[in-house]
Amino acid sequence: MSYIDLKTPPKREDRLNACIAHAGTICEMAAGKGKKSCLQNDGDRSFTQGNICLLLPALAMLNTLPDNVVLQHSAVGCGSCTHSQNANVRFGSNARHGKPKDGIWLSTAMNETDVITGGEEKLEQAIIEADRRYKPFSITVVSGCVPGIIGDDIDSVVQRVQPEVNARLLPVHCEGFKTKIWATAYDAVYHGIGRTLLRSGEQSPDADGLSPYKGLERLPYTVNLMNVSSMGKIDELELERLLNSLRLEVNVFPVFTHPESMVKATQAALSISTCPTHDDYFLSYLEERFGVPALIRHMPIGIENTGLWLRDVAARFDREQDVERIIEHEEKELKAALAEFRPLFEGKKVFISAGEFRALATARLLEEIGFTVVGIRSFHHDHFAEVEYEKLAKSSTEDYVIDIANVQPFEEANLLRRLKPDLFLGHANGNGTASKLGIPTHAIYHTALAYIGYKGVYEIARRLHRELKNPIYNRKLADNVRLPYRDAWYETSPFSYITKGDSAA
Amino acid sequence: MSNHYIERPRYTCAQGGAAATVTALPGGIPILHSPSGCAGNFAWTQNGGSGLQVGGYCGTLAIPSSSIQERDVVFGGDDRLREQIENTLKIMDGSIYAVLSSCVTEVIGDDIKSVVSDFKRKGIPIVGAETGGFKGNSYLGYDLILKSLFKDFLDRDLEKKKKRVNLWGIIPSYDPFWRGNLEEVRRLLEQLGLEVNSFFLAEDTIEAIRQAGSASLNIVISHAYGLEAAELFEEIHTTPYISVPLPIGASASESFLRTVGKTAKVSSKLTESVIRAEKKRYYRYLEPLTDCITDLDLQRYAVVIGDANNATAVTKFLADDLGWLPELTVCTDQLQEHEQERLREQLKHLESRYPVTLVFESDGSRIREHLKEKWPATGAGRYQNLFSPAFVVGSSLDRELALELGAPHLSVSFPVANRAILDRGYTGFRGGLRLIEDLIGAVVAGR
Repeated sequence: MSYIDLKTPPKREDRLNACIAHAGTICEMAAGKGKKSCLQNDGDRSFTQGNICLLLPALAMLNTLPDNVVLQHSAVGCGSCTHSQNANVRFGSNARHGKPKDGIWLSTAMNETDVITGGEEKLEQAIIEADRRYKPFSITVVSGCVPGIIGDDIDSVVQRVQPEVNARLLPVHCEGFKTKIWATAYDAVYHGIGRTLLRSGEQSPDADGLSPYKGLERLPYTVNLMNVSSMGKIDELELERLLNSLRLEVNVFPVFTHPESMVKATQAALSISTCPTHDDYFLSYLEERFGVPALIRHMPIGIENTGLWLRDVAARFDREQDVERIIEHEEKELKAALAEFRPLFEGKKVFISAGEFRALATARLLEEIGFTVVGIRSFHHDHFAEVEYEKLAKSSTEDYVIDIANVQPFEEANLLRRLKPDLFLGHANGNGTASKLGIPTHAIYHTALAYIGYKGVYEIARRLHRELKNPIYNRKLADNVRLPYRDAWYETSPFSYITKGDSAA
Repeated sequence: MSNHYIERPRYTCAQGGAAATVTALPGGIPILHSPSGCAGNFAWTQNGGSGLQVGGYCGTLAIPSSSIQERDVVFGGDDRLREQIENTLKIMDGSIYAVLSSCVTEVIGDDIKSVVSDFKRKGIPIVGAETGGFKGNSYLGYDLILKSLFKDFLDRDLEKKKKRVNLWGIIPSYDPFWRGNLEEVRRLLEQLGLEVNSFFLAEDTIEAIRQAGSASLNIVISHAYGLEAAELFEEIHTTPYISVPLPIGASASESFLRTVGKTAKVSSKLTESVIRAEKKRYYRYLEPLTDCITDLDLQRYAVVIGDANNATAVTKFLADDLGWLPELTVCTDQLQEHEQERLREQLKHLESRYPVTLVFESDGSRIREHLKEKWPATGAGRYQNLFSPAFVVGSSLDRELALELGAPHLSVSFPVANRAILDRGYTGFRGGLRLIEDLIGAVVAGR
């Protein structure tokens, strides 16, 4: 029995010993390999700032699905983040189908009565009504904290109602208080997809006992390119270009994929992840149940990492010679193009903040174009990233700080005042602190911008060059606004509020 | 309208409305007693709906949160909250701290009142509000936190100052035009010689807010929001209130000034001279647009979609000032019967007597059906009386309707994803001119 047979997926702190509170350094994190016990008991913070829960990344994926209605079962506020994510849905639909389209999301808006009497009945009616009104191919029923805490069982509601509706119903569990690792979101969505749209066991087994979804054939040169919404169309195109040059067909999965055509993922010859933080849960499922092997290391961000990523793919198809030729050509062209930007970057100090893999891969990219990394904040830590810390420990001449923190801008403000970097790269809604300190800032992720592959390196460099040519906006801002922290806070160690588990080295 | 779901709710929950309200207070620090994700959910909501305004002094992911976990759910979160408040006071530099509870902490029965009052006894400027999301939407959250503020933060038994008034009813961030809307109303009140505390503007101070009980009149610019707070204010501090609609443009502002002038005992001579001066300026600036209004045939049918403050106020402006034809007005809030009645009443007394149909509909995709009912297709072939030329004034979610109608569109009510808004507002005489600029600007954008 695997995780997918359970009603709900396990949380990542249980499945991967993932942690969110740790004050470390690059050398310590890299040396942690094999003796990572210091991180197995996660720390705690006795002061915390708000961040996100798994519901947000889950909705970021679900809202993109064409012909799908997202039905949020919780209080009315859960899922209002969609107002921002809808911009990505519109932009992404336009990039893929030439027309912006709003997502359809509904809320059962549980009220005080529902909390007391239970919300299953209301959810049942909502599903039936949504099915009739919008006639979607699928309805994703997403639970928030409230049903989680009062004990509504969305799985049995779905089971009860399914015979009465045309839409395929996918339960997705996003009870925010149950996990502090919001990357559990990817498991939650994949869990819903696996258990409903890609149910295994109905296919007729071939020689090795595994075959694609029933009635479908294996596609020997098609690869799944996994995208959970961390890449825009522009980045997909770059990776497709590179994979095409290895004579491979690409099936992007699952964002913006019609739920009906998701079965294609079981036909591929290989699944390729761009980020282990996203995909390990589902790739195991595709491998175990449909015989689709997976590649899940290296993120194709930066010159070296893109090459490593491509080489791994090529090796699976015996195309090692082709790949060397491609890489050599790509790198030569790229390095020449980067030359004009490099002098402005050389020696400038940079601090990076994002999801663990993205932060580490981007750090390596920034080194490659001339920056010096002085600190990284990873939103969480698990063992998949050890190899990335090693890469960075090797390429750096000095040790620097690694803050494992689910954002926590107060630690960041303190660190940035000490480190005084010349540039800060952070996630959406996570650049404000650096901006108010007058540091030039750049978004480390945005679906309208290019970050991935060789083209991504060039475009990041081009954008950073543009921003560093005139960083006066943030400087003026810093002269005129202040952060909400007491002066005394900056005199204290940035990690004073990490309590247990901080037994670094 | 469905009884079992709300389509694309055009607000967030009570805690989100309360958090945005606290962030907008001078030196306001919200402290969420909730799981970790609530603050981020609000940040993304504002990012997508509040005209690109996210946060403030202490907003978005800087907001302290007890970030309770499963074990707190089992054992109770009071201790964690106590620890969080203690450390918040050490780290965060604020002039007022507000603890806001969430769905989870309310269901498990955490007692924020007693935790907060322990800190209050030590002289900490702190209040608490029970803002669990299942209680209602962001507008309710605004009301709830104002009530706590009036009850637990304001000084009591102050001597009334004759010319002093408080102003509220426009919700920070969830009316993306809140600053501009409050500023212009404040300016008009100052023209009447009144001293105004408006809680959320750059001119406001925490000291003046503490003294809010000394006001002789509270002015609530809403027929739906902030009214329970006004009742409570009167009960505790004896200051009466008036509830008036959002005054957009010359006609509405004129009657706003007369109503307030009369209630605040401003001499009618002063009131009338302010109205004269404002109108003189308004029409002096509008005059040169007149040629193009006729020459380019800029009169439009309109569908107006908005929250309880905006829907009817914008409609009145279109019907009574601009001479447009607002056939259908849709209020997307779920209101109680008496609140709905107040909105209907507003449209019954239009100066133009234009027969506007007002519906209450929380599911945006049904607006097309309401319009079909109001404006059934007549004629055939080359002789059709279409709903055209038309304009859709609403939120950014109403762009698809506008596209279907082949009509230009302007986002004025939450969510406003497609405009950057700083201090633009549509209230008052100046706001009326802004709204004309923006409406006509959208019509002639391709010119």
